[in-house]
Formats: sequence, structure tokens, C-alpha cells
Amino acid sequence: MPVEVILPKVDMDMTTGTIAHWHVAEGDSVQKGAALFDIETDKAAMEVEAPASGRLAGIAAQPGDRVAVGTVVALIYGEGESLPDRAPAGPAAAPAPQPDGAVEVILPKVDMDMTHGTLAAWHVAEGETVTKGAPLFDIETEKAAMEIEAPASGTLRQVAARPGDRLAVGSVVAWIQPAGAAAAPRPQDTAGLSAPLRQPRPAATPATPAPVQAAEGPADPEARRRATPAARAAARAAGIALAAVGGSGPNGRIQRDDVIATALRPQEAPRPADRPATWTAQAGRLHVSDRNGTGVPLVLLHGFAADSQSWAPLEKALGGQLRLIRIDLPGHGRSPRRKLGGFAELARAMVEAFDDARAGLDRVDLLGHSLGGALALAIADVRPRHVRSVALIAPAGFGPEIDAVALGGITRATRADSLAPWLRRLTAVPEGISDDYARAAMRLRTDPDLRACQADMAEVLFPDGVQPFDLRPAFSRLTCPTSVIWGRQDHILPWRQALSAPGDFALHLLSGAGHVPQIECPERVARILSRHLAAAAQEN
Amino acid sequence: MSGGDAGQADNRPFAIRTYAPDRLREALKRMYLIRRFEEGAEDSYMRGLIHGTMHLSIGQEASAMATCMELTDDDKITSTHRGHGHCIAKGADVGRMFAEFYGRETGYCHGRGGSMHIADVRTGNLGANGIVGGGLPIAVGAALSAKRLGRAYVTICFFGDGANNEGAFHEALNMAAVWKLPVVFVCENNQYGMSTSIVRSTAVPRISDRAAAYAMPGVTVDGNDFSAVAEAVHAAVARARAGEGPSLVENLTYRWRGHSKSDRNRYRTKDEIDDWMRRDPIARFQAELIAHGILDAAAAEALAAEAAAEVEAGIAFAKSSPAPSVAEVTRYVYAEP
Amino acid sequence: MNSLADAGLRVLSYSEAIREAMALAMEADPTVILMGEDIGVYGGAFQVTLDLIDRFGPDRVMDTPISELGGAGVAVGAALTGLKPVYEFQFSDFAMLAMEQIVNQAAKLRYMLGGEASVPVVFRLPSGSGTGAAAQHSQSIEAWFGHVPGLKVLQPATPEDAKGMLLAALADPDPVMIFEHKLLYKTKGPVPEGHYVTPIGRASVRRPGSDLSIVAGSIMMHRALDAADRLAADGIRAEVIDLRSIRPIDHETILASVRKTGRLMVVYEGVKAFGVGAEISALVAESDAFDYLDAPILRLGAADAPVPYNPDLERASVPQVDTIEAAARRLVRREV
Repeated sequence: MPVEVILPKVDMDMTTGTIAHWHVAEGDSVQKGAALFDIETDKAAMEVEAPASGRLAGIAAQPGDRVAVGTVVALIYGEGESLPDRAPAGPAAAPAPQPDGAVEVILPKVDMDMTHGTLAAWHVAEGETVTKGAPLFDIETEKAAMEIEAPASGTLRQVAARPGDRLAVGSVVAWIQPAGAAAAPRPQDTAGLSAPLRQPRPAATPATPAPVQAAEGPADPEARRRATPAARAAARAAGIALAAVGGSGPNGRIQRDDVIATALRPQEAPRPADRPATWTAQAGRLHVSDRNGTGVPLVLLHGFAADSQSWAPLEKALGGQLRLIRIDLPGHGRSPRRKLGGFAELARAMVEAFDDARAGLDRVDLLGHSLGGALALAIADVRPRHVRSVALIAPAGFGPEIDAVALGGITRATRADSLAPWLRRLTAVPEGISDDYARAAMRLRTDPDLRACQADMAEVLFPDGVQPFDLRPAFSRLTCPTSVIWGRQDHILPWRQALSAPGDFALHLLSGAGHVPQIECPERVARILSRHLAAAAQEN
Repeated sequence: MSGGDAGQADNRPFAIRTYAPDRLREALKRMYLIRRFEEGAEDSYMRGLIHGTMHLSIGQEASAMATCMELTDDDKITSTHRGHGHCIAKGADVGRMFAEFYGRETGYCHGRGGSMHIADVRTGNLGANGIVGGGLPIAVGAALSAKRLGRAYVTICFFGDGANNEGAFHEALNMAAVWKLPVVFVCENNQYGMSTSIVRSTAVPRISDRAAAYAMPGVTVDGNDFSAVAEAVHAAVARARAGEGPSLVENLTYRWRGHSKSDRNRYRTKDEIDDWMRRDPIARFQAELIAHGILDAAAAEALAAEAAAEVEAGIAFAKSSPAPSVAEVTRYVYAEP
Repeated sequence: MNSLADAGLRVLSYSEAIREAMALAMEADPTVILMGEDIGVYGGAFQVTLDLIDRFGPDRVMDTPISELGGAGVAVGAALTGLKPVYEFQFSDFAMLAMEQIVNQAAKLRYMLGGEASVPVVFRLPSGSGTGAAAQHSQSIEAWFGHVPGLKVLQPATPEDAKGMLLAALADPDPVMIFEHKLLYKTKGPVPEGHYVTPIGRASVRRPGSDLSIVAGSIMMHRALDAADRLAADGIRAEVIDLRSIRPIDHETILASVRKTGRLMVVYEGVKAFGVGAEISALVAESDAFDYLDAPILRLGAADAPVPYNPDLERASVPQVDTIEAAARRLVRREV
């Protein structure tokens, strides 16, 4: 009996997921435990492993398809089991026409051991006429680039891949509708499968009913927004329209804190997403600063809304011997402001800066705090040979929860007394931040463009108040010595996220410390860090 | 008793022998009062002046009155849903009873209980009860109090033939016997539960047969014979007062009207009803009293008229009484501080 | 947190505290009697009335036949006529046999008789699961009686309250039902000497907090406190309110707490559906405290099944410290 490959449930309240990418093609051998396909959910992207070894066949969901949890998306046939009859993929065979005549256009296998290729460019646009045999699109593989011909004449429809998309061999990239046929909806099944796939298993949770159209109900748009009673009362009291407030609760629900954060903003402003950009991006490399010292350098990556100067207390506690390299994130400290679409872009920028900063050096140690911690992992994941050890303080990317409201509040504050309440969320107890500290912190934030850039970064990195990026897979791939330091009273990122981290690592929990232990108790952090670095040195 | 000794043997009915003439006259008047009361209540109901329903005891007046002859204000009764007669026999004021039926503030229960829950705790009437069998354990509890508190009162527990199949009946009789409590269980067997005749519902031919199962004396009497009832109850009450424990008295009687005002009387024949109506307990008692010179026909008529006048006055009182305030719907749920 | 804990009070078990209340009351008032199955020489199924028969004799510590309906009715009748009976149901489940006398008679007599009658009866009911006694001997049905006007329904969680509430019940002219959790009988706590009453209808803030309010009664109050300890280690400050009285409910204490924290969780052992939590959720939702809610109200109650026999199932079918803690975290983390 072939083994079913289902779309698994990977989040607690997940009911559907999107296949992002197949790692193998129809007919390929797979090994149990090897990466089979990537899925995307509302919360994260994840790799799904093969549940068995054998030959993969009957792929029933294509990249971009959104399927219910439990849907059978492919089958793995074991030794001796015969694969279903199937028209071979590839440009040599003409794909069987559909009942309505539409012909699929697939990414063909053009090299012997090719599993994937990149669609480099289209020669025809959607809706235009194509002629059988004429160039349709260019494909790039690791070996070469090639022109692919149209397999039939007609009108190009339902283009499903963009230039630059990396796809598995056999992926349907478009359809050609023969002349005269009406536009048909995308067929569900590909031609030639003879092994019927079973019905998808019912989802563990009942399917959520389609949202009720607001045909009846209050015409008042305020009433239709999700907002808690406390948030509504606060909005009424502050004279703020709910439409002006971003919600950090589930499903974008507006919580009382969200209204307070909006109320604390100095002027009535439309939501950042609607606000035309008031700052411009800047050119140039990210700012890197050094401190001379001996031995393997420690690269320091600060967190969101901070900058390299925030390492000062820890640097003092560590003593003067260690060579340090500090990188300012884009839009922070002295680094140029950049428009970023998401975490991936930020990570790419940091990898670039890392490569510049360690030019000429063989290996470095990494230390990242909060967002800088997530970036440290992204760097270590792509540059493992250059990273000797990784130390993380309250790293981002270990789960969805984050007090993004506090971070947003920090970015928007224009005065010390409106900055202070949010800073006080960073420490275990509010008393950890003095008024002087708040004033000093505000002096570093007087540039409105910096604040606006950071505010937009917050929107982009933590949309709807969650961390959409998940660094746990990268964390699990680390092989170097790894230590994680977390304050038990961290109100921004809960320390228990560390418990969901895979792999082997040392976890240091600090009682009485909040989100910034390197500032709250630098000596304790320095002690732990020193031991970590000493162990790393020993191992190498 | 043989009639040998001239003038010495007293062959008069028990009631005539035992109770003073004024008490007997009062008893007859009370029976009239019960009858007129029930008729007045029925009339008010049919005119749409009374809410809900009512359970009339017309035809059972001897059972109620003769049982209560033995009792003082200190003695207690628990009654049934068909308890208007018991209440009046125990000395209730018909005006306050009508006021309660009319749902007025001046009723015995301030308009909150209605027909099925008439009570006058101060004169020992622990209340009519809407649950068949509900009053049985309560009566035993009242008897327990008497024993524990060293009080001399006796508790009469009225119940109907239907109740004798409730679990509460069996549990109550058992406990009364085990603890030897001063309670008398008086069953008014009017042959029918609601519509189910006792023949079809009860495993024994006589309810008094069940007394033996609970180690207490049980007797069945003609419930429409004032003296028969009085004598049986007298003995039972004496037994209880002497600390010898409970007894069961079964009064065979009949209700002229249906179970409640919704009853269409489909389960019994007109002949049966007519037959019992000819054996009217009031007429019987009255004839007996006249025969033994306790009163004459004119005096009897006067008593009947008095009763009628009292009922009329009672109805007038009820009609002119205020209704309870809607704002006070939750008053009396809990004790007031 | 017992405010009297540091006054050097002696410690009694929950059942000893109840026994002491009974003895005190019976000494002071000859109209107080005890009734129940096996409460005399046997001392009661849970040994609460142990040795009282030696002190007060069989006329005041009365073993009844197995007749819950009749026995409860006798208690009602006795209460109506001058005695103050304390009737012990051997298991709260058996009260179902006496529903007629409790609900139709005891609860209603005062009202039906227009205030002319008083039924000062106390019913004591060993309640709850965790002893493997299975479905018919483990129920938590206090919510049923919360639904009946005319009754008062109490749930002492501590020995101090167990004594004080019984004494308060005996002083009350209306029928009172006291639900004692079986697993609490052996728990110990400080108990003041002599006579005192725990006022009926007053909840108690056992642990102040600002991040969420947990309302719980009986054994669940203790579990909520344990959960609060764990939450505190992560800076989550839960306020734990001991409900104590189901009828009447202390609205004000609960509402004040919700206004402060904006988040509410109700934890109870009765079946979740139609239980105490439903009432409390509703009373908060229809009050002014509604405007302070920053999250939906959570209820943790027993599973929708008869109490299972298997110990793991039994344990899993009611809220435990773990589940209370987890729910509190979800509430605070805005996962609901």
C-alpha cells in the first residue's frame, strides 16, 4: 500500500496551509526523513519530511495551492509497488488535452539529475496568443539556461510562476487554451493519474464557516471592528476612532494597549500602512564599529530600536581584552535607512554586512540580542564555516508571541516621558529604567526619519503584533557551541519560547531580569558569555 | 353492647357521647362553612375571578371536621392540595382564604401561594401542599420536634389515596414507627388518584393494610360518618399523646367534583357520583344531631345561613382587598432582617 | 492567604473543623440536632460526626434509615416546628432522591406561605471526584441548587471557612446547603477557637494580582493558588478569588477584580456546561465591568461526561493545576 503524504498540521489552530515548494518531483526516489516539500501557514514556513522511503507519485497539490490540513498531497510507493500509469513529464511528451482542451505548461526536466529550475523570463504575457513550438519562457538550472517552447497553440492563461521563481520539475506554470474554447477554471487533476487518491482526511477541527457578509448588522464601521470592551471604552474616552488603531490581539483584535499606544502618539496620524512614506531610503553600507582586542572577534548584533551603543555596559563587564565588531541594523544607529519588505530582506542585508565586516577573518563568535539574535541565526545558517559559536540573548524568531505594541510605542515616542513607559516594559521591573536613562535614550532618537523608518520596520517585521519569521529550523541546524540567555521576567519575548527550540544548546535563565539582561545585569551576562566563549575556544 | 341494663348503656354515636353539644353544633356549622366555601370558590372560579385551578373537597366534609375535633390550636396538621376543608376545620378564616384565592395581599400567603398552599402556622396548620406526598415527611418532622422539645402536641397528616403509592409515604411511615413519633396519618380515600381508581393503582385492597408493614395500627372507616371518623381518630390521637407512636386511619369517602377544575370526569360514571351524593355527609350528621336532640331543624338552617353569610362576607372582603405590589415579587423568598 | 494564619492559631483538619462547629452549636442550643445515614456510632461515611453521639446521645445524633427523601422531609418538618436539623447526605449525589423536599418544600415554604413560615434546615453534602468512586458518587451539583430561589448554597474551601460557614448556616433562618469537597476533609488549616461566623455571600480575595482574575471555589481554589504561584515565576500576577458562596454570589468582589485586571477565568468542578462559570460569566458580561474586559471570559469546568472510573480519566476530566496554568497563560498571551 502506498504511504500517504498529507499536509500536516504544524500550528495549533491551523486549518489550511499552502504548498510553497516541492523538493522532489513526480517519480523521484525519496528517503524517509528527507525534505519533501515546504509549506506556509499564517504563522511560519516549514519543511515537511518524507514519512517513508520509496518513489514519490501522484502529486496532487502544486505550489501555491492552499489545502486543508490532512489532505493527501502525494503518495510514496515502496519496493515492488507499481507506480500509477502516468504520461511522462517533460517536453518530449505532449500533455494530454483536458476535456475543455486546455493544455498545461510545465517546468520541464532538461538535465538528467535536475529536480528544480528557475523560470527566468516569459516571452509571452497572459492573455496573448501563442503558437506551438514558439519560445514561451526561459528556464535556468544549475547547469545552464534554456528556452522552452510552447506545447500547443492558443491563448496563454493562468500564469502561475513569475520570473525568478524556483520550481520543482513538473510544476504547472501556465495553461494554453486552444482557440475558440472559453476560459476554463484551473483543472483539479493532472492527466494520466490512474491511482485514485483517497479523500482528504477531515481536518481535526471543524472547517471555519465562511465569514458572514455584513449585509445586515450595524452600518457603523466602528462596531464591525474586532475590539475588546476595554479597548472600546478607552477609545471612547480618548476620542480615537478604532479605524486608526492597529490590533495586536488574535485576528487583529484591538486590545486596550493598542488604543493606549495610539493615544500616546503625539499627533493624530493615519495608520502607518496608509501614511505616505515620510522618510527616504539611504544608500551605503551598514555601519560597523570595532574595538581592538586579541583572539577570535565577537560580532555583536543589537536588537530592534536599539543600536551598537547599547552594548556598552556589557562591554565594560567583559573587560577590555576581547576584540569586538558591532553592526548597526538598517535604520538604526549610524546605518543607512533602508526600505525592507520583511525579515528575509533584512537578513540578506545583515549577511552582506557580516561578510564585509569579517573580511580577512576566518571565524568569529556571534552574539545577538532580540531581533539581533534572530539575525545572528540567519547569518550562522548561511555562513556556518565562519561562525565558531553563537550566543543569543532573548532571541526573536522562536515563536509568534512578542509585545510588538511596546516596540511600536518605542519607535513612535517623540519625548522622553512618552518613551519611558515603553522602555519600562523592557526591564523586569519598571524601576529598572530611570528617567535619566529615558532621557538619554530619547536623545538618540531625535531624528524623525529614523523613528519613522523604525516604525515601518516594526510594521513589516512584526505584522499584527506577531513574529512571522521562525528561526527554529535554522537553530536546529547549528552545530557550533550555542548558548541562550533569557530573563525570566521578559515582558517582550516570553522565555518559555526557548523550550520550543530544537537541538542541543545551553539555556541560562536569569531570575529578576527582563528583556535586556545585558543592560540590567551585565556582570551576570558577561560571566555566562565568558564561559561560553572559553568553551568554544576549547573545542576548536 | 346488649340492651339489658335499662338506661345505663350508651348506644349513641361516638361523637354524640363524647363532645359537648355546642362543640357539635359548631362542627356542623363548620361543615356547612366548608361546603359553602367550596361552592363559593367554584362560583368565583367559573366567573373567571380566580386564577389557576382548584381542588374541591365537596362531599368530604365529615372526614375533615371529625378528624379535627380532637385537635387544639397547639396540635398540627399537614394538608394536601385538596385542603380547603382541613384548613376550615382547623379554624381558618374564610375571608383570608378567599383573599388568598383571589391573589390578594390580605390572603394567608400574601397572594403568593394560592389554593394549594393555604397555611396558618400559628394555629397549627402547617399548610396544604401541591406535591402529592409532600406533607408526609414534613408531618413526621413536626412530630419529631414535639418529641425532642418535650411538647405535648400531636400532628395529623392528611393525605389522599394517591399519595399512598409515593415513596415518601413509605419512608415517612417507616421513620415515624422506628422513632415512635406522635403523628396520626389520616388517609382520605376518595377512590381516585386523579383519574386512576385505587383498584388499578394500589396493590392492597385497603390502604390501612399497609399500616402493618410499618408496625402501626391501621383502621378503615366510613369517611362520611362523622362519628366513625371521630372515634378512630380519637383512639389514634390518644395513642400518640401517650407516647405509643403513630397510627393510620383510612376514611372512605368520595369527592363530588372532579379532581380539579379541568377534570371532565371521564373516568367515573354519573351513577356513581349520584349514588355518593345521596349519601351526603352533612345531611347525615345533621340528621344524627337532630335525632339526638342536639339541635332542631330550624337551628340547623340557621347555622347553614350563618355559614353562607360568612362565605359571602369573605368573598366581598377578598374582592375589595389590594393586590400585592409587583415590585415586591421577590419579597419573602428569604427571611427579612 | 489566610489573614489569620500568622496569629499562632491551632491547626485542624477540615472535618475536625466541621465537627467542632457542630459540637459548639449543639452545646449552646438544644434545638440543634444531626440527622443522616450512619452518622452515629459509625461517625459518618467521612468520619465528620465521629464521637458526637457519645457527647450528645442518639436522640440528637440520629441515624436515619436509607430514606433520603423522607429523611430530608423530616428535617424540613422539624425545622418548620422549632428544631434546627443538620442533615447529612452521605454523598451529594443522593440529594437527588430528596429533590422534592429540598426544592419544592424547603426552598419554597417561606415564600408560598407569604413569609409566615421559616425552614432553618442545613443540608451538608460531601461532594466531588478524585476518590475513584465513579459516576454516581462523585458529582458536583451545587450549580443545580444555585438555580433555586429560597436556598443558600455554600462551598467552604478551608477548615476555617468550613467551621464558620456551618455556624453561619445554623444562624440563618433559611435553608442552607453546604457542599464539602471530599478531598478537602483531611486538609489542614488554622481555625479560630470558639464561636464565629463566616458571613454568607462574601467571596475572599485569597491572592491579589493585576494581570487576570481567577474565580474558583472549593478545591479548585487551592489549585488556582498553585497555578498562580507558577505564573508568578514568569511575572504573571493572577488574582485568585475564593468564591465561597454560590447563592448568593458576591458580585461586587468579582466585578471589582475584573475592573482591575480586565481578564477573567472561572474554575469549577461542576460540568462546564450550564455551571457556576456560566452564571459568573454572564453576570460580568451584563455589568459595568464589561467595559473593562480586554479578553473573552474563560471557563474551566469538568468534561462533558459522567465522572469516569479510570484514575487518569478521572483526573483529566476536571481542571488541574496544569490546565489552570495553561489557560491563564493563553488568556494573558492573547491567544484567546
